[in-house]
Amino acid sequence: MTAARVGIGGPVGSGKTALIEAMLGVLAETGIETAVITNDLVTDEDAERLRKGGKLAPDRVRAVQAGACPHTVIREDPTLNMAAADRLEADYPGLDLILLESGGDNLASTFSPNLVDYWIFVIDVAGGDDIPRKKGPGILQANLLVINKADLAPHVGVDFPRMLAEATEVRGGSAVLPTVCRKGEGVVEVVEHLRREVLFK
Amino acid sequence: MSLSTIRAMQLADSGFPSGVFAYSWGLETALADGQVCKRTLTDWVAAELRTRWLRFDRVALAGGFRLAGEALTDWFHTVDTLMPVERNRRESAEAGDALFASARALRISMDPGAEAAQASGTGHFSVAHGVFLRACGLTLTEALETSALSMARGAFSAAVRLGVSGAITTQRDLLALAPLLSELAVAPAPDDLPSGFMPLSDVALMRPHEGRLFIN
Repeated sequence: MTAARVGIGGPVGSGKTALIEAMLGVLAETGIETAVITNDLVTDEDAERLRKGGKLAPDRVRAVQAGACPHTVIREDPTLNMAAADRLEADYPGLDLILLESGGDNLASTFSPNLVDYWIFVIDVAGGDDIPRKKGPGILQANLLVINKADLAPHVGVDFPRMLAEATEVRGGSAVLPTVCRKGEGVVEVVEHLRREVLFK
Repeated sequence: MSLSTIRAMQLADSGFPSGVFAYSWGLETALADGQVCKRTLTDWVAAELRTRWLRFDRVALAGGFRLAGEALTDWFHTVDTLMPVERNRRESAEAGDALFASARALRISMDPGAEAAQASGTGHFSVAHGVFLRACGLTLTEALETSALSMARGAFSAAVRLGVSGAITTQRDLLALAPLLSELAVAPAPDDLPSGFMPLSDVALMRPHEGRLFIN
């Protein structure tokens, strides 16, 4: 059996790494063997952050640099990530899940179906409540849309219930989950969603 | 047009997924250090073709193309031994891993000798490229032309993404280099060994560079 490969994309600063950090603790508690591949735009800062977080053995976090093209490495030419995932599966045969974090990109980024089985797009309220209305492939096509930093909504003039409703509407009812990753809020629901939709365990 | 020519065009296309877009092979650092600039970019690419590609990659690729089985595994190990700088050696094998991943996804069967080398961590890109292009039905000359063009195109593509040159300018520069590509893409003798010392790019490859966008 091979590990499920789940992509996590979204704009710079939306909270992709924070989501993974928060998910790792929940995944460990539920006995799901996990590894992570990061696609930092510059060097391997996100990978180092996850390694230092201590929730995963450092060697289970691998960095793939994106050659100034965060979308290319997950879509047009995903082979570097495919090779890194193959290597992780060879090194850790019991893996259940490989999370692939995209380098921060824009609303048009999508994951190649050759690379992932499922993908999550992360936006945040501070990016503006008009993001769902702007649509874009990331918003529309992701299997799960996460709206992070929900607690900041009153401070940035965002009507959060309305933003959530608009996001659900433009996605035709596909899953949308709110989170506050830094406080761990909503993260259990994201993991439960993955267990139900992808991991089947 | 022959089938192998059409395949060569496909395999040399920048859209072909093999991971090479994320490597600058020293160019990013050389640009940051001011050792190469917009005006001298074509000279850099030509020098890389005449040195790194001609003396090392071309010979390594030809061995990968010609050999099979245990002899091929030995050739991968020979090429590995001839790469004394650990970082370059590691990155060359990682680039090879991406090509193997591409071959698996495309269901293009790589020689078992190549698979064995990759499993042992010596699946270097240039040799794997020869194995892969043969498996795709190219002749050795077409494989060498594809490799040389890919190397030059990759360097120019990196320069475009680094904001040093424009997409149209680099196509003009690539056209100007076409005669050189044709001149260099000649099969080496079967007993040739990869060799080469390219001081500027070798040093650039080894130098750490803060804020690097490319793998090397």
